[in-house]
Amino acid sequence: MAEMLKLGLVLMVVSLVAAVALGLVNRQTAPVIAVQQEMAKQAAMTVVAANLSPGDSLAFDSIEVEGLENPYASVNSSLRVVRVTVPPDPQGIGYLFIAYGKGYSSTIQTMVAVDAAGVVAGTTILFQSETPGLGANVTEPGKLIDRLNGITASEAVLTKDGGDIDAMTGCTITSRAVVNSVRAGMDAMDQAGLFSGAAPVDAAHEEAAAEAPPVPEREMAADSALEPAREGGPL
Amino acid sequence: MNAAVMLSALMAAPDAGGSGFDIGRMMAIIFAAVFVNNFVLSRFLGICPFLGVSKQLDSAIGMGAAVIFVLAMAALGCWVVYYLLLVPMGLGYLSTLTFILIIAALVQLVEMILLKYSPGLYRALGIYLPLITTNCAVLGVAVLNIGERYSLGESIVNAIAAGIGFTLALILMAGLRQKLEMADVPPALQGKPIAFLIAGIMSIAFLGFAGMGG
Amino acid sequence: MSLMKDFTNGLFNENPIFRLTLGTCPFLAVTTSVENAIGMGAAAMFVLVCSNFLVSLLRNLIPSEVRIPCYIVIIAAFVTLVDMVMAAYTPDLHKALGIFIPLIVVNCIILGRAEGFANRNPVLNSVIDGIGMGIGFTLAMLLLATFREILGNGTWLNINILGDAYTNQPLLIAILAPGAFILLGFILGVFNIMGNRKGGRR
Repeated sequence: MAEMLKLGLVLMVVSLVAAVALGLVNRQTAPVIAVQQEMAKQAAMTVVAANLSPGDSLAFDSIEVEGLENPYASVNSSLRVVRVTVPPDPQGIGYLFIAYGKGYSSTIQTMVAVDAAGVVAGTTILFQSETPGLGANVTEPGKLIDRLNGITASEAVLTKDGGDIDAMTGCTITSRAVVNSVRAGMDAMDQAGLFSGAAPVDAAHEEAAAEAPPVPEREMAADSALEPAREGGPL
Repeated sequence: MNAAVMLSALMAAPDAGGSGFDIGRMMAIIFAAVFVNNFVLSRFLGICPFLGVSKQLDSAIGMGAAVIFVLAMAALGCWVVYYLLLVPMGLGYLSTLTFILIIAALVQLVEMILLKYSPGLYRALGIYLPLITTNCAVLGVAVLNIGERYSLGESIVNAIAAGIGFTLALILMAGLRQKLEMADVPPALQGKPIAFLIAGIMSIAFLGFAGMGG
Repeated sequence: MSLMKDFTNGLFNENPIFRLTLGTCPFLAVTTSVENAIGMGAAAMFVLVCSNFLVSLLRNLIPSEVRIPCYIVIIAAFVTLVDMVMAAYTPDLHKALGIFIPLIVVNCIILGRAEGFANRNPVLNSVIDGIGMGIGFTLAMLLLATFREILGNGTWLNINILGDAYTNQPLLIAILAPGAFILLGFILGVFNIMGNRKGGRR
């Protein structure tokens, strides 16, 4: 018994030393990682929303919308949308959202900017882990995602499925994932009335959004769970 | 507004811990893990035991069963520890360390159980039983479940399906290698080289599942 | 010059991939491009050297019964360290290597050397052995990655070698999963031939 305790103690000491050492390293690296992710996200949002109002500096507000279905994930969460405005004008000029599409070997995250009338203004692939040389090329400009600019939800269909958008050669699955996920998101927003031209969010929500970020508890868990997100995404 | 908060609000990420039991999603996970993205032939996880234990059908099946059990328990244990212990304490970075310790403990447990209830299988598996600890598939599934933000149910289903896929590849390989003993393999390719070539051809076959099951 | 022997051991005689067939999982998965291969090789070598160092240093302090879990903790700690540092300072490589960074923990080479060498040899020898094995592993990955990237993408280190005509229609299978298995099988076959010839001469 004493022998087992001694062995257990040795293991515990080694583990504790390791954990403490890692804690110290984490102190150093966590802020660097956070800053980097922040910059990447800001960059993505700015690039994607640029077409909404070229040349102006934009403001992004996360909004809560009543009746907005989430076409992507498990039953509980609702689709998160960010409204884009050109300060000081509070009228939204468009929206940002992230579309999740199940591709060949990963869930592809596409950030989409739509204007107030429901026309795509810009897209970028945030995360994909598709086949190198094939589906992975979806991130390249001039291929699929540029083709999505200027279309409405009903036009976001591959030629193979009866629409006008050509899939990339040899990557039907990847192409379909991106296009269909974008369409699903836009359809959901349309159903919730976001494209009617008028501001859909009620004043109470707007103030709450302006004051403090509406981050429910789940978000906190998801945030710190962002670090080891391997296949699910870098964010 | 802080962009990090913005984008985490933007992300319609599956709420981890949600209890949505969607049978369609489960079937998709199972089909993907067993066929479309087979853990051995497509994701390259679990190659060492795949080559080592696939020489005979009996030990292949026994190994597969042991791995499925360890996978399911490990997925459960790691998910619970991660979301109920590490994340609330802000210790997400200790995940690799804790996961591998959980897996090592589980394998130790399986060893003891097998030694008591099935010593024949214990001897047949030999060195490969403790080597389940270093089986990339076990740690890989645990990490994947976190990355894909699966709920607890989805994680376990994914783990079992991964184990089934692993066992399937193992059994197919064992069958082929038993036949191979009668075949006339060029001396340069005998042993490991021909095993890898066969695995490659099997991998091509499994590529045919691409795109199925959504 | 036993130090020299410890070093060259990992390069040829006991090359972890081609002779010992350890660490095949990351070897096959990460060699889709030369850049990823070098990154993974460097990360694995760092962990290997550090863990060999520490295991050798503590070899008389850790009781034998609990040595494997202790080695695992030490290795996992260094892997997490590499993970965090790469996420902070080389985010693109970190994203490309993905799940295989934490999987360095279960890279049989590292545990294998800790158990098979570092726990019974002095510190300097263990470090040299780690460096040798690490370089051997990296060179092996470089070999396969070169084949896969050139055949499957027409590039080497992202430099277009075979021209645009090839890049548009490359031998895609080289970069997909089956290609890794098949190419490794042939490389091992070549090594067998080389080994047999040497044996025959003696």
